[in-house]
Amino acid sequence: MNSAVFEIGKFARLTLLWLCIIFGAVWGVSWSIGVLLPAVILSQSGESGRFWAQLLQALVPVVAVALFVPLNTCYMVLAERRLLALFTVRKGPNRVGPDGAFQTVADALKLLLKEEITPRGADLLMYTLAPVIFFAPSIIGVMPLLAAVSGNHPLFTPVNLPTGVFYILAVSSIPVVGVVMGGWASNNKYSLVGALRSAAQAISYEIPLLLSIITVCLLAGTLDFVQIADNQRGSLLNWNILGGGALTHLGIGSPWWSIAAALLLAACCILLFALYVICACAEVNRTPFDLPEAESELVSGFNTEYSGIKFAIFFLAEYTNLFIVSTFAAVMFLGGGHAPFPGLEDACISGLRGLLAAWFGACTPFQLGWLVNSLVNPATVSQVFWIIVKSYALVWFASLIRATLPRLRIDQLMDYSWKRLVPLALILLIAVTFLKELV
Amino acid sequence: MESLNLLTALAHVNVEQGFFYVLAAIAIPLAYGVVFDRNVIRSGFLLIGVFATIAGLFFLLQAQFLGLSQILIYGVGITLVIVIALMLTNARQETGMNPALPANVGLASFVSVLVFTTIYLSLRSAEDWPLKNESSLSLPPNIEMIGKHLMTYYALPFEFASILLLAALVGAVMLSKAEPASLANAGDEAEQAVDGTDRV
Amino acid sequence: MLGMVGRAAEGFYQVCRGLWTVFKHSGRPPTTKEFPDVMPELPGAFRGRLALAVNPETGEHLCISCRQCERVCPDKCIDITAHKSPQTGKLELIDFKIDHGLCMFCGLCTEVCPTSCIINTSDFEMSEYSRGALIYDLKRLTLSQEESAYYFAKKDLPPPKPKAKPAPKPEAAGDAGESLAQQPSDVSQQPGPKAEE
Ligand code: SF4
Ligand code: SF4
Repeated sequence: MNSAVFEIGKFARLTLLWLCIIFGAVWGVSWSIGVLLPAVILSQSGESGRFWAQLLQALVPVVAVALFVPLNTCYMVLAERRLLALFTVRKGPNRVGPDGAFQTVADALKLLLKEEITPRGADLLMYTLAPVIFFAPSIIGVMPLLAAVSGNHPLFTPVNLPTGVFYILAVSSIPVVGVVMGGWASNNKYSLVGALRSAAQAISYEIPLLLSIITVCLLAGTLDFVQIADNQRGSLLNWNILGGGALTHLGIGSPWWSIAAALLLAACCILLFALYVICACAEVNRTPFDLPEAESELVSGFNTEYSGIKFAIFFLAEYTNLFIVSTFAAVMFLGGGHAPFPGLEDACISGLRGLLAAWFGACTPFQLGWLVNSLVNPATVSQVFWIIVKSYALVWFASLIRATLPRLRIDQLMDYSWKRLVPLALILLIAVTFLKELV
Repeated sequence: MESLNLLTALAHVNVEQGFFYVLAAIAIPLAYGVVFDRNVIRSGFLLIGVFATIAGLFFLLQAQFLGLSQILIYGVGITLVIVIALMLTNARQETGMNPALPANVGLASFVSVLVFTTIYLSLRSAEDWPLKNESSLSLPPNIEMIGKHLMTYYALPFEFASILLLAALVGAVMLSKAEPASLANAGDEAEQAVDGTDRV
Repeated sequence: MLGMVGRAAEGFYQVCRGLWTVFKHSGRPPTTKEFPDVMPELPGAFRGRLALAVNPETGEHLCISCRQCERVCPDKCIDITAHKSPQTGKLELIDFKIDHGLCMFCGLCTEVCPTSCIINTSDFEMSEYSRGALIYDLKRLTLSQEESAYYFAKKDLPPPKPKAKPAPKPEAAGDAGESLAQQPSDVSQQPGPKAEE
C-alpha cells in the first residue's frame, strides 16, 4: 500500500513540476511581451512607440498558444503514460530526468531527428500538407478559449469572439480533412481505410456533439465563451452541468412544477454532459472510438506512413485536440474559471493576497508595487487555477477511459451514433428548450 | 478597447484590400486546379481549399457567421463526403478518360460564359454596394445579432429545423432498414447507367 | 422505449463500474521490476542462451558428438565438427558452433541431448553489434565447472557419470513442465524402454 501511495505522489509531483513549467513559461512570456516590453517602449519613446507596444500586445495570444501547445503536449503524453501505468499496476516511464519527467521531451527530440520517409507513389503535396491541415486548427482553435480561461484578461480580450463557440466548432471540423488527405496521399491501404473510417466517424459524431453544444448555448442564451462562463458564476449549482442556475432559483415557496422542471433540467444537463464526453472522445479519436488509428488492426491507421517531424505534428495535434475539448467542456459545463465553492476560495485568496502584500511590501522600496499588481491579478489567478484543475481532470478522466474501455467495432460505432446519440441529442434539445422556459 | 486603435491604424493602410488580393491569388489557381487536375480526388481536395479561401473572403467582409458556416458545411462536410465518394468509386478508370470531349467543351463554355455574364452584370449594375463606403468596423457585430436572434427570437423556427432534421433522420433510418430487392435492383441499374456513360 | 432506457441505464452503470474497477487499481503497488537494477528471478526451465555444460566434478566436456542436437534443430543452427580419434577410435569434438541469430530457443536440442550437455542457460542479455558475433564457437559455448554445477542444480538434472562409459539418458527432471515437454522426444528416441515403463 505504501509504495502505491508513493507512486501516486510521484505522479502528483510530476504534474506539479510540469504545470509550473508550462504555465510559468506561458505566463512569463505573456507578461514580458504584453506588459513589460510595452511599458518599456512607451516610457522610452512615448507616443511614437505606441504602435509597436500595441503590436506586441496583440501578439501575446499567438505567442502564448504557440508556447503552450508543445509544452502541454509533452506533459499530457507523459501524464497519460504514467496514469495508464498506475491503472495497470505498472510504473511507467521513470528514467529520463527526475521520475522520468523529461521522457517526453527526449521522445520529442528523437522524433524530430528521425528520418522523414515519403512512400513510393505518395502524392507529395497532399502528403506534406496533411499534417499541417491537421494541426493548424488546433492552434487557431484555442484562441477564443483564451479569453474565457484567463477570466477575460485584457491581454486576451481581443481574441474573444461573440460567437466563439461556433468558431471553435467550425475550426474543429477541419482536422478530418487532414486525416483523409494524409490517408489517401500515403498510398497505403491501411491508411486509406483508417482515413475513411475517421471521416465516417467524425461526420456522424459531429452531429450529436454540435447538438449537445447548441443545447448548452440555448441554455446560456449566448455563443460567447466569456458570457457562458460568466453565467455560471456563483457556486456548483450554477454550473451548466446542473442546469445553469435552475436549481438556485428555487425557494421554499416555488410551485411544484417549477421544482420538477428544475430537477428535470439538471438531469437533462447531466445527460448532455455525458453525451458531450462521448462525442468528444469520438471527435478526437480517443480510445473507445479510436478506430481511425486502431493499432491492432490498421497499424495506426491514417498516419502509418508518417515519420519524423510530420508524425510529430500529428501527435501534437491529437493531444492538443484532447486538451481543447477538455477545456471546452470545462467552460461549457463545469463553470469555466469559477470555483465550485466561491466562499471558501475567497477566504483563501484574501489570505494569500495579504501574505503577498506583506511579503512584497516589506522588501519593496519603490517600483515593485506596480510589478506585483501587473504580475499577480488575483481574479485571473483564481480563474486560471480552476480552469487548469477542471481541464486536466477531464484529460485524466480520458486516460481512465482509455485504460478501461475496449474499442468499438465500426458498425457498432455507427449504430451508436445514429440510432442512439443523435435521437438523444434531439430529445434533449427540445426538452431543455421547454424546461428552460418552465423554470 | 486599445486594440481597436491598432486595427484602425492597420485599416488605414488598406490591409483589407491587400488581404483580398492575397486570397484571390490563392483562390483562383486553386479553382483552376479543381478544373484541370487529372486526379479527381486531388481536385476534390483543391475544392476544399477554394471553399476555405472563399470563407476567408467572407471574413474580410465581416460576415463571420457566413464564413464559419462556409467552412463547416461546404469546406468540410459536403466536399469531404464527395471526396470520399470519389475514393470509394474506382478513380483509376477516370484518370485515363478525357473529360474535355469537343461536345462537352461547347456546352461547358456556353454555360460558363452565361453564368459569368449574369454574375458580372448583376455585380456591375448595382452601382452602390451599401458596404462600399462604410467603415466595416462601425457595423453592429452581426454574428452576435444572429446568435442572439437564433437563441431567442427565432428559437421556434430553430426548433422546427431540428424537428425537420429528426424527421429526415427517421426517414434515413427507414430507408436503410428497407433493404429488400427493389432497392438493390435500383442500385444495379444505376451502376449500369454509370458504366454506360463511362464507355461513351 | 422503456426497455431501451433500462438497457441504457444498465450499460451506463456497467461502464461506470468498469471505470471504478480500473481506478481502484491505481491504489495497488506496481508490479514492475526495473530490469537492469533488479535482475529477474528466472525458473530453471527458462530457455535462454544455449551453452555446453562440463562435468561439474571432473571438468571434462560432456558432449559425445552424437549430433542428435544438430539433427533435431529445426533451424539448422548447430554446426558440429567432429572426427574419429585415431587413438581411441571414438568420436572427438573439434568445434561446436551455434548461430544464436538463427536459433529460436525452442529447446529441442536440449531435450534430445543424451548427456545433458547442451542446455539453455538463464542468460538473455546477448546483444551484439554484428550478426557474426552471434555465432558462438566451442570456446564461448562451454561453461566453466562452477556454472555447470549451478545449472545442473538449478535444472535439477541428474549428475553426469564420468565419461569412460557413456552416461545413460537423464531421466525426466523434477519439475512438471520439463518432464511434460520431455515426454514426446523421449518416446521418439527410445520407444522400447519407455513403453515398458
Ligand atoms: S534451441 Fe531450437 S533452434 Fe536453438 S539450437 Fe536448439 S534446437 Fe536449434
Ligand atoms: S546432442 Fe548433446 S552430446 Fe550429442 S552432439 Fe549435441 S551436445 Fe553433443
